[in-house]
Amino acid sequence: MQRAIWSLTVCILPSQANHTEHHEGRHYSIPLEEVKAVFPHGLPYRFQQQVKTFNEACLMVRKPALELFTYLRNSNFAHPAVRYVIYGERGTGKTMTLCHVVHYCAKQGWLVLHIPDAHLWVKNCKELMQSSYKKERLDQPLQASTWLKNFKTSNEHFLKEIKTQQKYVWGKRESTEQGRPLGEVVEQGLARVRSASDAVGVVLKEIKQQCHLGSFRVLVAVDGVNALWGRTTLKKEDKSPVSPEELTLVYNLRKMMMNNWNGGAIVTTLSQTGSLFKPSSAYLPHELLGKEGFDALDPFVPVLVPNYSQREFESCYHYYLHRKWLQHEQARTEAGKEELRFLSGSNPQQLERLAGPL
Amino acid sequence: MCRRVLSKCSLNTSRLGAVPTALGSLSRCPTPLWVQTLSLTPSLTLPCPSSMPSPRVLSLSPESRAQRLPLRSPREGAAGRHDASPQPALLGAEQTQGPQPPLQHLHLHLHLPPPALPMPGAGQRHPRPPSWRRSAQARLRLCPPIVGTEAFPGPCCAEPGAAVMAAALRRLLRAGGRRGAALVAAAAACGPGPQTLRLIYTTTAAWKKNVAASGPEKYTEAFIKKQIEEFNLGKRHLANMMGEDPETFTQEDIDRAIAYLFPSGLFDKRARPMMKHPTEIFPEQRKIQWGEDGRPFHFLFYTGKQSYYSLMHDTYEKLLNVQKHQDQLAAQDLPPQKEKKNLVGSRWLTKTELEEMLLEKLSDDDYSRFIQLLQKLVMMPCGNIEENYIKKFSREISAQLQKVVIEPLKYDEQGVAFSTGEGRRKTSRATVAVYDNGTGKITVNGIDVLHYFPVLQDREQLLFPFQFLDRVGKHDMVCTVSGGGRSSQAGAIRLASAKALRSFVTEKEVEFMRQAGLLTVDPRVKERKKPGQEGARRKFTWKKR
Repeated sequence: MQRAIWSLTVCILPSQANHTEHHEGRHYSIPLEEVKAVFPHGLPYRFQQQVKTFNEACLMVRKPALELFTYLRNSNFAHPAVRYVIYGERGTGKTMTLCHVVHYCAKQGWLVLHIPDAHLWVKNCKELMQSSYKKERLDQPLQASTWLKNFKTSNEHFLKEIKTQQKYVWGKRESTEQGRPLGEVVEQGLARVRSASDAVGVVLKEIKQQCHLGSFRVLVAVDGVNALWGRTTLKKEDKSPVSPEELTLVYNLRKMMMNNWNGGAIVTTLSQTGSLFKPSSAYLPHELLGKEGFDALDPFVPVLVPNYSQREFESCYHYYLHRKWLQHEQARTEAGKEELRFLSGSNPQQLERLAGPL
Repeated sequence: MCRRVLSKCSLNTSRLGAVPTALGSLSRCPTPLWVQTLSLTPSLTLPCPSSMPSPRVLSLSPESRAQRLPLRSPREGAAGRHDASPQPALLGAEQTQGPQPPLQHLHLHLHLPPPALPMPGAGQRHPRPPSWRRSAQARLRLCPPIVGTEAFPGPCCAEPGAAVMAAALRRLLRAGGRRGAALVAAAAACGPGPQTLRLIYTTTAAWKKNVAASGPEKYTEAFIKKQIEEFNLGKRHLANMMGEDPETFTQEDIDRAIAYLFPSGLFDKRARPMMKHPTEIFPEQRKIQWGEDGRPFHFLFYTGKQSYYSLMHDTYEKLLNVQKHQDQLAAQDLPPQKEKKNLVGSRWLTKTELEEMLLEKLSDDDYSRFIQLLQKLVMMPCGNIEENYIKKFSREISAQLQKVVIEPLKYDEQGVAFSTGEGRRKTSRATVAVYDNGTGKITVNGIDVLHYFPVLQDREQLLFPFQFLDRVGKHDMVCTVSGGGRSSQAGAIRLASAKALRSFVTEKEVEFMRQAGLLTVDPRVKERKKPGQEGARRKFTWKKR
């Protein structure tokens, strides 16, 4: 879809274009159908509201994302998967960068394993069941089933292609034969919620085993990866705290995060917002991951996401203007722009919150 | 908190035991004489007036002294406050001694507001509301030593009010005509001094007689003189106490010493303890206007406003003088002198000042007539002759606006211009350095402003000076701030940055800033909680029964 080019800084690019450096600072839009397909569960809530309001989804092309694109383009998929950790202060756009990468890879035809927020798996779980597979572990049927559903919507055609390589027995009467498409496993997980967590584990295992064959690339995109190595707020029935390894979902995901497979990439984001028991000023990897997580993820490629630069700020400001989001007459002046810049500190989240009531 | 009063009768016998109340602990050491005799009482060393003096005339004659009756202190709050007049027995003894005994009973002319809370001893912690109904007897019994000795090192006043002991004096004098029991005697020595005589105060209600109120209080000359002597002595003692040279102890030093010894948090300066020369405290009084035969001294006495009319008379005389001089010059055909006295920086006396000068009440009309006359005198061409006379009635107006010095810009190593400023708000203090050629980056205590002030309101406060001057993204700022809460820190930084920005900006814009209120220190501080109330304004829940 072509959009008119309004100005040098505001440019709604066609989404199919390959983004290079000179596109930095510009917005590009994603058609809404694609949004539904690619991001069933990935986008931040406020951005989703903005999409609904503006009736279009526009992401800004920023340097960290472009950096990641170059890495991904130049990565050798025969080597073990490289881990990229996107980190930064609160509200600088880590999740949006991740979504950008996800969209890019989805466009390129990768299989995307997108976990929108790993923190959701370690807190506020109403139902914890003891796993049927392993006695010590705990299942989370609700979270697992939601994830399976979203996974299904995002990667429909892959589910038909990938075939199971062994037989899985779900219960007395249910089992999945070898060679069946992965979609069946997913259906099984959705139908039988009790075994959803195990279904997730199976999916991850299969994908990991088969991606090195080279028929498809895998992108593991995890938001809030520091949840996997932190603490949980969940308690067992005897009120003893649950550590993350005891959760099936987390355990399987951790296995996915290891770099003992090749044919894909792992892009993760650190997030303090949903993190548990971490101070709000912490944003560096070693602060948020802790020693355990850091060792598990080490070596990784850190990608810092800073606040808006001058150009990016102008671009965002003009985008809001263009979308007629800034209604206040003073907001349209230069002085108003400076004021917004000062008050938001060029922080994307602050700017978005400031621009809301204007 | 009542103060124990030194007993006047301690003059003779128990002088050593006089309570150095203000010095508290000092008195516990082997007390030198001068310390011991130091007291904080206002020296109400009044000569007791004779029985029933006429309202206007104070008996000054020595004969009346013989009939001196002991004074009675006023009912309210007098307990323990006043210097006791000697007991009758000792009075006689004193009188036989003749003039004042050599070792004076020394007083600091310390005028504290009347203590409202007769605090019952040190043991009790919470203050009681003042109850004037309490019998003075009970009050006195409960008197602890004064200021500085006990748990309440502050001034003993709990309510600001009439600061001056002249009020007490007034009452005293009013009561002077009546019979009364002796005043309260001093409290016991808190040191190893010998025993003091203690007079228990009895209520004055029993002795109240129907006496017409005498007019405004009158101080005799001897009294004023005595006060001045005592003030000087007290000044010397204070200088000694503070370790300074008594010879060069000025009034400012006195004020500082008193503020140090009696720290007060009261807002009204007039309510705080003060020690001033008696002439500043006791208003001037008119002497008796007629002689023994009843004939008035002044020829205009029977006009009723003798000073005013005599003043008008004198001024008109000067006017006539000037006219005569003018006529003389005109007759000699000399040009009249043209040098006009510059009236710009001066003003005439106000009505109250004139009243003080004349010691007489004036009406507005009188006052305006006098000023008109003065102006007429000045306007005349040869008015300069009487310049000396006119000077008595004019005052200089000091410069209204003090020029605030705006510091010039400083330059740091990189050659970037910067300027500093300081600001405060409530209990926060901030220092700020504003650098030129910046991008609008602000660092507070080493932390970025977004992290230090997560609330938008605080950041808006910081934005205000820059936005006002249209310099939003042009300066960098490095601040240090301490004290207070988040809002007051933001206000302090705002003031400091506005002050720093003055150096970058034209004078006109500085004036705009001042009018916008950016350069004014916010005087609002937390209001004190009052006793008897839950907070500063909030009262306790009212219960009907």
